[in-house]
Amino acid sequence: MEKEKLLQDLKKKIIEKFNLKQQPADIGDDEPLFVEGVGLDSIDALELIVLLQQDYKIKLDNAEDGPKVFKSVSTMADYIIQHQDANV
Amino acid sequence: MEKMKIYINATTGISPQESFGATVYPESITQHPGNWFNSIEPDYDTIIDVKLIRRMSRIIKMGAAAALKCLQQAEIKMPDGIIVGTAYGCLQDTEIFLQRMIDYNEELLTPTAFIQSTHNTVGAQIALLLQCHHYNNTFVHKGFSFESALLDAIILLNENEMNNVLVGGVDELTNSSFDILSRFSLYKKSLPGNLYTSKTKGTIAGEGAFFFLLSNLAAKKNMAVLNAVDFFYKPQNSDIIADKINALLSSQGLSMNDIDVIITGRNGDINNDALYDTLEQTVFTGRTVINFKHLCGEYPTAGAYAVWMAALMLKEGKIPQALSSQKTGNEKIRTALVYNHYLNEHHSLFLLTAC
Repeated sequence: MEKEKLLQDLKKKIIEKFNLKQQPADIGDDEPLFVEGVGLDSIDALELIVLLQQDYKIKLDNAEDGPKVFKSVSTMADYIIQHQDANV
Repeated sequence: MEKMKIYINATTGISPQESFGATVYPESITQHPGNWFNSIEPDYDTIIDVKLIRRMSRIIKMGAAAALKCLQQAEIKMPDGIIVGTAYGCLQDTEIFLQRMIDYNEELLTPTAFIQSTHNTVGAQIALLLQCHHYNNTFVHKGFSFESALLDAIILLNENEMNNVLVGGVDELTNSSFDILSRFSLYKKSLPGNLYTSKTKGTIAGEGAFFFLLSNLAAKKNMAVLNAVDFFYKPQNSDIIADKINALLSSQGLSMNDIDVIITGRNGDINNDALYDTLEQTVFTGRTVINFKHLCGEYPTAGAYAVWMAALMLKEGKIPQALSSQKTGNEKIRTALVYNHYLNEHHSLFLLTAC
């Protein structure tokens, strides 16, 4: 999937899933998703893992990769592209 | 030694009427079409931290907002305890959680709805918002949930364990709960012109979230005294109820002649209202009787609505015109008795007097 489209897709899904007040354009591609950035927390991290699995059929095999994968929308998109390619 | 008084220092709630933040009983009644009364909700963004609100379901928002407003009215930042009564708990989150179990074949369950689906979430969220690490308890006892919470608070205050306790009764109505309870014929098929004279089965579905700041400290701003609470399960006949009422009044050195207003839980269900008819013709004869279920609908913690209503009336010393067609005279009302039952199983009495 094209990264730009994926970024928009992820932003929409994050806003909807976490009931955020922002618009997709308000979330920067590299803005931290947790704490000082978008403001997600540890419970939301679990929701993101489920989102990856449900919507993109990608399982986060190593939980230690979480902070790196969920750093921003951009890192999430990269992980999805990389693993979707691997799945193909 | 003089018996300790329990005061209602402040109270507010969210209900199908304009109850939120009201300092006097609303003079006009909000009419709802149909057999389902939804609450009139405030703008929660102005009351609850926006970062926390996004994860809250409707009943949690209702409960948290009512609790915060009640504390604000009482001018108390940190209660000594938080006690909540709820029969249904957080239904909306429970439904989401169960639905996802079905949708995803019991795999990949997301944590939020599960975490928030427990009955004690409202009390817990209030504690989180306040950063209150004090006593926190939730009672889930069907039609005795609010009453049990109140009793717990009274015991703690009487024992001087605490001075200010935040007590609430919360229950929400959802599409699913309405459908399921309708199958048990709890609700009327259509709303009659006058709920109380419909002579048909069922009642109106309701919901609400009310909080009370109870205190054992005398203060100028106290609204009313909560003298006594009693509740009893499935009384065999109206004589037993009359005995319970008389015993409650006697325990406070009062008789029925001292009661200025009786608030009953009459709900228009022909199966259950006969008891109120009998009591009005016997033990309540000659007293001013008003009802409240046409305002909030029926739900297991509806007693909290009646206690809120009684507290406001005692503070003002009068019955609002909107609530009584009976001429009540100019004399100030000083004593109110609430008698309510849920499905003729859970029967409750609350006695309140003016400060």
